[in-house]
Amino acid sequence: MQRKQLVQEVVSIVGKGNVLEDKASLAVYEYDASLFQGRPDVVAFPTDTQQVAQLVKLANREKVPFLARGAGTNLSGGTAPTRGGIIIDLCRMRRILEIDTNNQTALVEPGVYNLTLQNALAPLGYYYAPDPASQKVSTLGGNVGENSGGPHCLKYGVTSNHVLGAEVVLPNGEVVWLGGAAETPGPDLMGLFVGSEGTLGIATKILVRIMRQPEHVVTILGIFQSLEEAGQTVSDIIGQGIIPATLEIMDNLVIRAVEASVKAGYPEDAEAVLIIELDGLADGMDEQAQRIEEICKANNVVSVRRAKDNTERAELWAGRRGAFGAVARLRPSYLVCDGTVPRTKLPDALRAVKEVSKKYGLPIGNVFHAGDGNLHPLILFDGRNPQELEKVHKAGTEILEAVARLGGTISGEHGIGTEKLKEMRLIFREEDLEMMRRIKKAMDPAELCNPGKLVPPPAQEAVGHA
Amino acid sequence: MSRQNPGGVKKRDAAARSAEEILKELGVEATRVEVPASEKEVQTILARASKEKLKVLPMGGGTSLGVAVLPEKVDLALDMRGMNSICELDPRNLNIVVEAGKSIKSINQELSQVERGFMLPLDPPRSQEATLGGAYAANMSGPLRHLYGLLRDQVLGVRGVNVEGSQVAFGGITVKNVSGYDLTKFLIGSAGSLCVVTQVALRILPVPEASGVCRIEFPSDSDLEGFLSELRQSVLLPSAVVARWEAGDAVKLLTVALEGHPKAVERQAREIQEMGARHGGSGRILEGRDTFLESLRLAVDPQGEIHRILALKVSVPIAQGLGAAKAVEDLAVRGSLKVDLALLAGNGVFFAYATDQSDQLLREFSKGVRETALRMGGHVLPVWGPRGALEGWGPRIDPAVGRNVVMPIKQSWDPWGVLLPVGL
Repeated sequence: MQRKQLVQEVVSIVGKGNVLEDKASLAVYEYDASLFQGRPDVVAFPTDTQQVAQLVKLANREKVPFLARGAGTNLSGGTAPTRGGIIIDLCRMRRILEIDTNNQTALVEPGVYNLTLQNALAPLGYYYAPDPASQKVSTLGGNVGENSGGPHCLKYGVTSNHVLGAEVVLPNGEVVWLGGAAETPGPDLMGLFVGSEGTLGIATKILVRIMRQPEHVVTILGIFQSLEEAGQTVSDIIGQGIIPATLEIMDNLVIRAVEASVKAGYPEDAEAVLIIELDGLADGMDEQAQRIEEICKANNVVSVRRAKDNTERAELWAGRRGAFGAVARLRPSYLVCDGTVPRTKLPDALRAVKEVSKKYGLPIGNVFHAGDGNLHPLILFDGRNPQELEKVHKAGTEILEAVARLGGTISGEHGIGTEKLKEMRLIFREEDLEMMRRIKKAMDPAELCNPGKLVPPPAQEAVGHA
Repeated sequence: MSRQNPGGVKKRDAAARSAEEILKELGVEATRVEVPASEKEVQTILARASKEKLKVLPMGGGTSLGVAVLPEKVDLALDMRGMNSICELDPRNLNIVVEAGKSIKSINQELSQVERGFMLPLDPPRSQEATLGGAYAANMSGPLRHLYGLLRDQVLGVRGVNVEGSQVAFGGITVKNVSGYDLTKFLIGSAGSLCVVTQVALRILPVPEASGVCRIEFPSDSDLEGFLSELRQSVLLPSAVVARWEAGDAVKLLTVALEGHPKAVERQAREIQEMGARHGGSGRILEGRDTFLESLRLAVDPQGEIHRILALKVSVPIAQGLGAAKAVEDLAVRGSLKVDLALLAGNGVFFAYATDQSDQLLREFSKGVRETALRMGGHVLPVWGPRGALEGWGPRIDPAVGRNVVMPIKQSWDPWGVLLPVGL
């Protein structure tokens, strides 16, 4: 089918006002927050499930690739239209359909921002646990596709642990409900769907679990002159049987960027800041906080500060939440790596990052969910310099190789997308990948639903980075 | 029926019921039982089974085999209880890797002895006999899910053998992991229909500083209902809330389990007792870890002769839990059946243990339970029971989901139907 005819068909489904097809508009949809790009043929903005299903059926009939997109904050090229086709942008499906505190659920459309849901729940005394740093702008549909995490995963788990069910348009255009408010028999299909990066279908309604806000929260900031000592503090806290809600670390490069941008009050000469948050019942929490402060002191903390109220708590968090944006001040571009290692291997992983930085002459900042062992080395560079870009890809791969050698995994929360296809072989054998391919083939035989993402092709067909 | 243990290195617990006994109770005839002692042996067995087009039934302690679609006859029963070791234990990183045939109780017994004491917060009914692999395949969990979540919230990775006899591994040992499809979760509840699980990696937690239990008797349903509603709206964080009663009894026994900092446990115990009193309940507080664990076991385990019990797991939306359990109680009373109910209040799940000599009566009862659950937006699965009572169960998976998702995957993973069928 000619592009013009395809556009007409799309218009007939969603209406003229819900289609973008001019060159300038399509350029905006060529990329996400990764380094990958591709030109879509048309962008459609459906407003209900039936329209999404019709678009998918059209794509199947005409053998055109399609991919769902939320806010485009994807960090691994999962929403870059590398094979063209129809982008199904879900940002106009953004209603919170129901909040049911009796059953502790909320039913939302995929285009609802994570923070919008949090703001709707807060006055009711409830919250939704996954809180990725992008929560102001990332959509819940995107969070489901990527199985997003956030700082509170150590205690509460990732998106997959909080999504109960979803209405899904399958790759063949059929609409089904997976999971639900009650447990469903058979294989855990929601478990398969969450984190499948839009390759197994499109969620058009999402049922999430909501939780009562904790009675009490204590937030502590520790300033360290050594990254290793901050890391050791994390291990010692957990070694004492205390499981905080959050354990977050930033290194000096990031601290300086944050201070220049957000002015969170971190000393610019500190080598590391550690944010620790406890939540739950008030009883006994002060004692736990004291124990944590003693552990910090035993690890030579320079200063330790406990937030006195919610305003101070928000200030302590402002730096962490603004960290990714802040580093943009230092160089024109950055690549966020995302690997996870067993927590005690963090010092080894950080050493490896340092060596990679030195080897390629690229500054690398570190922001990480220390409690989970989830590293986010930020490789800073100038994307206009092709030689530097090539070095960045090599540096990213070497960091992931180190993570895999340490018994970790190549993505903690940003997904595989297009960026890490090659690196999947660092942690999976061909037999494992083949089982994944069979799932994709079984559900999307023509491979039209966000094709070429998540699972690398068989070894003989493999291609390198774009 | 012949029996083989090809490696013969590790044997299952001698006190456990034999595979033959379990299969007989479930009415499954197996030509041969094998007890592999290693993953390599499972690979050899499955490779041969595929070649010879044999029907294979993987099994553990038989405590949740009813969730699988059981044929009357299989060529080979694979008793996984020969694989019962802890492969890796890393308390500093809070994870453990365990072979599928190890019982959940024995995992926790060993963990409790490590350093300051650790635990796997997983306590399905009959956890003394239930194996980790069985609980994984059947998606079973128990009262502690109230605070710690389901099995799916504890599992980090899985290793198994596909029908071609190849080892496959998914997930890992870290909490955060979004590398590829999450097949670790997908295989939960697949009931031996997609691959044979050999090892599971899980999160573990330190045993909390203090543990306690409130046991409160409520004189009526409405009193219990009022209490549960107030508890749900409170900030309290119990680890488990289980109501237990026999159909027809007005009095309901509620077990509320508490863990954490001693001050938090003390306060919760006090407030829960006061809350109970406000709703007509009377009870007492019990302290100590052993009491805590034993109370939860008693609250959820069946009583009586296992082989005559039909065990059903009913799941409905949280707020419907007590209402659904009461509707099932009415069915039992009307049918003059002895039925014990264990309601995991706050989770919308309950176990109904029905005992009767008549398979016909049990079948009628289970039909009524399914209709009730469906009406309330839920589902029912048989956990175990006499063959005659389980017959004619019908599809377990939603037909549209089965047709579009589960069957295509089953056909691509197990094209010869070596493993158990899916529930369509």
